[in-house]
Amino acid sequence: MKNVAEFTIRLEQVLGADGKPSGTLPDFARDAAEVERMYRMMTLCRLFDAKAINLQRTGRLGTYAPCTGHEATHVGVGAAMRQDDVLCPVYREYGTQLWRGVTLTEILVYWGGDERGTHFAGPRQDLPWCVPIASQMPIAAGVAMAFKVRNEPRCAVAYIGDGGTSEGAFYEAMNAAGAQKLPVVFVVVNNGWAISVPVAAQTAAQTLAQKAIAAGIPGVQVDGNDVLGVRSVMESALERARSGGGPTVVEALTYRLSDHTTADDATRYRPADELEAAWLREPLLRTRRYLESMGNWDEAREKSLREDCAAQIESAVRAYQTTPKDSTDAMFDHLFATLPEALEEQKDAARRWSSVNGGVGH
Amino acid sequence: MSRFNLPDLGEGLHEAEIVRWHVAVGDRVDVDQPMVAMETAKAVVEVPSPVAGVIAALHGKPGDTVATGGPLVDFREDGTAATGAPVTASGGVVGHMPTSDEEFQEVALPRAAAGAPGTRRRALPAARDLARRLGLDIEGIRGSGRDGLVTVDDVKAMAGPAAQPPSRTASIESTGEIEVLRSLRRAMAQSMSLARDNVMECTVCDDADIEHWETGNDYTARLLRAIAAGCSAEPGLNAWFDATSQGRRLFHKIDVGIAVDTPDGLLVPVIRDVGNRSAAELREDINRLKIGARDRTLPASDLRDFTFMLSNFGVMAGRYATPVVVPPAVAILGAGKVSRDVVAVGDRMEIHRRMPLSLTFDHRCVTGGEAVRLLGAVIRDLELRN
Amino acid sequence: MAKVTLVEAVNMALARALEQDQDVVLLGEDIGRNGGVFRATVGLQERFGPLRVQDSTLAEGVIAGMAVGMASQGLKPVAEIQFMGFIYPALDQIANHMARMRNRTRGRLTMPIVVRMPHGGGIHAPEHHSESLETLLCHHAGLRVICPSSPARAYGLLLAAIRDPDPVMFLEPTRLYRMSKQEVLDDGLALPLDRAFRLREGEDVTVVTWGAMTHDVLRAAEQLSLEKIGCDVIDLASLSPIDHDTVLDSVARTGRLVIVHEAARHCGVGAEVAATVAERGLHDLLAPIRRITGYDTVMPYFKLEHDYIPSVARIVDGVREAVRT
Repeated sequence: MKNVAEFTIRLEQVLGADGKPSGTLPDFARDAAEVERMYRMMTLCRLFDAKAINLQRTGRLGTYAPCTGHEATHVGVGAAMRQDDVLCPVYREYGTQLWRGVTLTEILVYWGGDERGTHFAGPRQDLPWCVPIASQMPIAAGVAMAFKVRNEPRCAVAYIGDGGTSEGAFYEAMNAAGAQKLPVVFVVVNNGWAISVPVAAQTAAQTLAQKAIAAGIPGVQVDGNDVLGVRSVMESALERARSGGGPTVVEALTYRLSDHTTADDATRYRPADELEAAWLREPLLRTRRYLESMGNWDEAREKSLREDCAAQIESAVRAYQTTPKDSTDAMFDHLFATLPEALEEQKDAARRWSSVNGGVGH
Repeated sequence: MSRFNLPDLGEGLHEAEIVRWHVAVGDRVDVDQPMVAMETAKAVVEVPSPVAGVIAALHGKPGDTVATGGPLVDFREDGTAATGAPVTASGGVVGHMPTSDEEFQEVALPRAAAGAPGTRRRALPAARDLARRLGLDIEGIRGSGRDGLVTVDDVKAMAGPAAQPPSRTASIESTGEIEVLRSLRRAMAQSMSLARDNVMECTVCDDADIEHWETGNDYTARLLRAIAAGCSAEPGLNAWFDATSQGRRLFHKIDVGIAVDTPDGLLVPVIRDVGNRSAAELREDINRLKIGARDRTLPASDLRDFTFMLSNFGVMAGRYATPVVVPPAVAILGAGKVSRDVVAVGDRMEIHRRMPLSLTFDHRCVTGGEAVRLLGAVIRDLELRN
Repeated sequence: MAKVTLVEAVNMALARALEQDQDVVLLGEDIGRNGGVFRATVGLQERFGPLRVQDSTLAEGVIAGMAVGMASQGLKPVAEIQFMGFIYPALDQIANHMARMRNRTRGRLTMPIVVRMPHGGGIHAPEHHSESLETLLCHHAGLRVICPSSPARAYGLLLAAIRDPDPVMFLEPTRLYRMSKQEVLDDGLALPLDRAFRLREGEDVTVVTWGAMTHDVLRAAEQLSLEKIGCDVIDLASLSPIDHDTVLDSVARTGRLVIVHEAARHCGVGAEVAATVAERGLHDLLAPIRRITGYDTVMPYFKLEHDYIPSVARIVDGVREAVRT
């Protein structure tokens, strides 16, 4: 008998929970302005999340999937990507999306029940939010294939949650991307919970990163609450993909500090002490401590940042709330480039009945 | 003052219990400040304030259950509402499952016994339709098909070789006595007086942008179709009002009386069932009635029982008017002269052809809301390309 | 002009599209070196290289999903699902993304994709290789579903499907792949996608069908003409959307409608045709509508498949019944 395959999984970290460097600092981590930029975005995400939940709690937004706790992962990934790379998100990676140019208003319009929210004015080639779990994975492989066919130095980045790694599409996409050496990075956001099911009940695998090994591609873990670590690991993975080295799976270890969505109540299934402990590792404070240690941050700047964010959020909320309901024509107008004649009659009927219901209102 | 109703705090929750208030009447609150802890079937949820203002009233005390959509807090606002938008919360925006305590009652019925043989003649749809158009009673026709099924040939045989079925869509009967109207002006005076004495008239005006009409659109036919669209959006104006019984009669069929100006006075021939007829058919009918009106050969049946009225006065001059409702009908639409107007398109000015519209309705039985809903639907239909 | 089989016509159209448009990319299982299990893509990888004609990994969900990803970046993927019976893993991508992407991004990302798949039975194939599942696809808004019935229509409709800016499910009747030849001019001309084709004129009864059944219907019509029964034969070709007007016009003349399809009857596309005629053409009917279809059973393994697929005799009998009423 002999061993024919062996593997190890590394866990990367740059910034510890105390805000002190625990690993080698990458170059961008020495650039205070760059770190500040990431911290600002993380703060915006945290405050926006709270506002969105309040909007839902007061009947002004539909079911919303919060992102609190994931800010470092989301912003770290966004900062590592190039603008012409393409993102295939799940449905809560606002940090990455905002970094890439999606607007707060678009996010609100979407969760307010309106497809127009996915008509991103910013990253035009990014995929919209993906609700059917794991189905974004083969799509990301296809995006990467398009870059390969055209010989463009661009990459696709796909997100998936810990629960999503139980889906066939996750394995299928990793396998295809590995076999065809596609420029794609799969980011597994391991936040501990797939709605009410903890990772331990989801898989017997010791890590989710090691699922990559079966597809013959590298898998690496990173502290997902460490924005510097996430960005650093992502930059390497993207560089590898861009230079023809093929895909990587990055497992970001973080924690879902919120409920799954506003329709969920995690207190029903999640131990309170686990949540309490997770708050001690949350990503914003350590980034702020690091910024302070660089001499680049103080209470006054923190206060002014929070005011800036609040103003941005308020203006987005106003734009969202003054967006009029779309006409029923929209249901038909974007079905095909040219609406088949057979559907014209239904379009008219929808318009007529909508006017019976009072036109724009209802 | 504004009222905040309890929204759906989850997906499809229909009530929540007040756990504790964090605010009291008279307190000043900020946007997003927690106001109350509510317990739903799913969770205890902090409900924040949607506005900045002063609490005017709290609806309920701890332990009380509040229905989704029911009043929770009243505010005296001080104009600093941070969101700048009115509070419209009323039971959630998605995932709201309507609920009630009504029991679903049903009785399982035994399968209906098959009708006794021969109670109703079995006939093919095409045969039934032909018989109706020929004025034949299908029950009286012997069927030669399987099990006595009446076929088209059976109907034709019954009708005889000379029978010509009228077109399927022409529903106006051409029979009836011809009554020459001598004193049109006197009739006009009477009906106008009747209108003045009885109807509480109210007129609302607007314009339809018809710049994008395809060529060949027939104005009157389009107006008739638009009226049909309007009446289907708001059936309350396709009606008769009986002041004596204070009764209102709504019609499914839309029979539009068209005001025709003749040297002797006003004549109102009626186009039947405009909702179910094509533009070509309407045009054919309009032409027939016009000629009939001019020649005074219209039978009385063509001149009565309209359910809605149209005055297309704009062919001559005049943009807006206060057309007169002739009872028992309750509404009349006036179409004025089409003109080229400067309109704002986005932030640009463009010149568009617009048709001025004046809708008079009988306010005794039609609300302003109903009238403008109808007018809105009329305009939407008129603004279609074809 | 060359006389070609239907599968050769498909190959011609694919080659023409690959040649004309750099954005066209073929992907599927065994389509490269092997040229596809039915040889529809034979010679294409040699000619256009392994990136334009890609052998996919063996996962239908990946084939459809990668097509979505490629299309989102402006390519025009033509995916092959080896047999329609294997479409199920791909449905997640087809229904959730391909069909909806234009709508849910309000036109920002579009899906100019063709998914080709062999359709129907009658070739003595193993289990799961003979299914007629058009209903699965027709129920999804945002998809076009096309099923050609001759080499010329396969050529013209496939080119149209590839050029169409929206996803087209292209069902190729396996039974017809090599059944007969037809002269097809490789002129690059496409046929309209949402029109039915009237293949035979007749005054007594309208017979609506599509795919491989078209040939059996035409044979039945020939027999019936000897009995002085004239069939107006319509090949629907586009199963979604359906060209109802062509059917209604024909029924208005004949007064009788028979629908023939290989797929199971329950919720079959024929039911949609019948319902529309009942809604919009009832008064033209001189007889009840009839459907001659596969049974509502599992598609049998090949010993019984010809008992499942409507035969010429069954069609002749059904049409006679309709005319006799």
